[in-house]
Amino acid sequence: MIEEPYRWVEAIANRREYIEAQLASGSPIAALGYRDGILFLTLGQARQKIFEIYDRIAMGAIGHPGDIERLRMAAIELASTEGFTRSTADVSLRRLVHYSLSPVMKSGFEQIYGAPYLARMLFAEVGESPEEDLFLRVEYDGEIATSGATFAQARQDFAALSGTRQSRELMESFLKAEYAPDTNFEAALKSALDAWSVGHMALQTGDAKELPEHSAVTRHRLEQLANSGIEAGILERDPSRGIRYRALLDTELRALIHD
Amino acid sequence: MEPPTVRLNQTFSGAADDFPTLLRRRGLLGPTAIVDPIRPAGRLHQGNWEPTEATTILAFKFSGGVLVAGDRRATSGTTVVYDRADKVLEIDRHSIMAIAGVPATAWEMARVLEHSFQYFRRTQLQEMSVDGKVRALSKLLRDNFGFVMQGVGMVVPIFATYDSDPKPEARLYFYDAMGAQFEVTDYAATGSGSPAVRGILYYENNWGAKPLQKLSEDEAVSIALRALDTAAESDTSTGGVDRSGKIYPLIKIVSGEGITTLPETKIAAVFKKTVA
Repeated sequence: MIEEPYRWVEAIANRREYIEAQLASGSPIAALGYRDGILFLTLGQARQKIFEIYDRIAMGAIGHPGDIERLRMAAIELASTEGFTRSTADVSLRRLVHYSLSPVMKSGFEQIYGAPYLARMLFAEVGESPEEDLFLRVEYDGEIATSGATFAQARQDFAALSGTRQSRELMESFLKAEYAPDTNFEAALKSALDAWSVGHMALQTGDAKELPEHSAVTRHRLEQLANSGIEAGILERDPSRGIRYRALLDTELRALIHD
Repeated sequence: MEPPTVRLNQTFSGAADDFPTLLRRRGLLGPTAIVDPIRPAGRLHQGNWEPTEATTILAFKFSGGVLVAGDRRATSGTTVVYDRADKVLEIDRHSIMAIAGVPATAWEMARVLEHSFQYFRRTQLQEMSVDGKVRALSKLLRDNFGFVMQGVGMVVPIFATYDSDPKPEARLYFYDAMGAQFEVTDYAATGSGSPAVRGILYYENNWGAKPLQKLSEDEAVSIALRALDTAAESDTSTGGVDRSGKIYPLIKIVSGEGITTLPETKIAAVFKKTVA
């Protein structure tokens, strides 16, 4: 059947539908650049979703744990061998994603007799200044979205990842409206929690088109914080540190949340 | 269809491999040297084989952790080729490898080691234990031993680190060229100038003003400088302190807070006050 182009397109469409359904329950992840670094945050997960990849690179992912693990290992392996043979300064997120991960995910997706990667990933690389931070989102079909300025958008100091497109887009419009870059850590933390709440509410209601009221977001955030743990990590901007990634503990974050 | 640029192992992740194995699989690290079983290398080079480890490295525990010091001279035979060599290398936030031996091999080992520890932490999502780290260096030395027997690439390092588990304490090891590791309680020295240094440290520890472990930072720096200067007095391969060129030994301290590299101004001040 694969010899017929129409069948192939149909198989790809089915596969897309199947993967979207599998990923639809994935809890959101927000990544925000602030003055001293980049914050990754998600809530209430049974297994880890935020990972260190290399000196200045971290990753958040939703999807099947087995697939996430394979892609994570590939990313670490690539970055580590590049950093070893050349220099840690030569490891760049742009090259890692554009030239290595995206082609692999695309061919995994299109080779319809093999299993695709059930994963969607959000990478961030911390720069010397907030303007040099880079966020890249990689979809299961190898599609890449950037936070950088393009013809279609102004530069963004944040990125979001969620189970559905509509949930992610609401998170992005929330951050676009509410988040001021070059802020301190506490403000970034609050915005990240609110953005997560917006995305999570959208996943629950299913067909939300508009941003919820502020009071509803706050209520949802408080409810969720009472029942689930915070998973977060930061990439620190301070150049005197070789390794910038640090996982943050739930308890140290809760001390910084007011209201 | 075009083959993907990266091939993922579909059956198992890279987690089982350690970093040197990964590098070898990709052809980025030389193969393990094997001692020729038919013609034992010892006989091959009988008569003229002599290990070279022309330098002086010392480390001892003091009140503030472990002090590691090394002179700056690099030699090739009887020629001084470089007078600002760094032989005290940081491997991670709490570990130092100080080297005597062939710089090319030693620096490569340090790079492999540094990446190994980080690769382990990133893939396995936990820090490698101190025993694991000590063993990793031991394995690199053993892999290299074939080359040592062929007369190239001898490395005899000291490894200093800070363990936080089960109890916080500084730990210090020295190695032989085959990769055997020896944990020491007080001090270690390696390189051609080490006999003199060992004598001084033994004396200081037993009959000095106070045992090494009780020394303050300034006192420890002073003893390290005196020891290296003594080694340089009789060993041509050890730079000691270059008084005219104002080149001082490299001194680093490992403690619970991490690694501190002592600024040259501080070393110069202690030198002026207590050594010169």
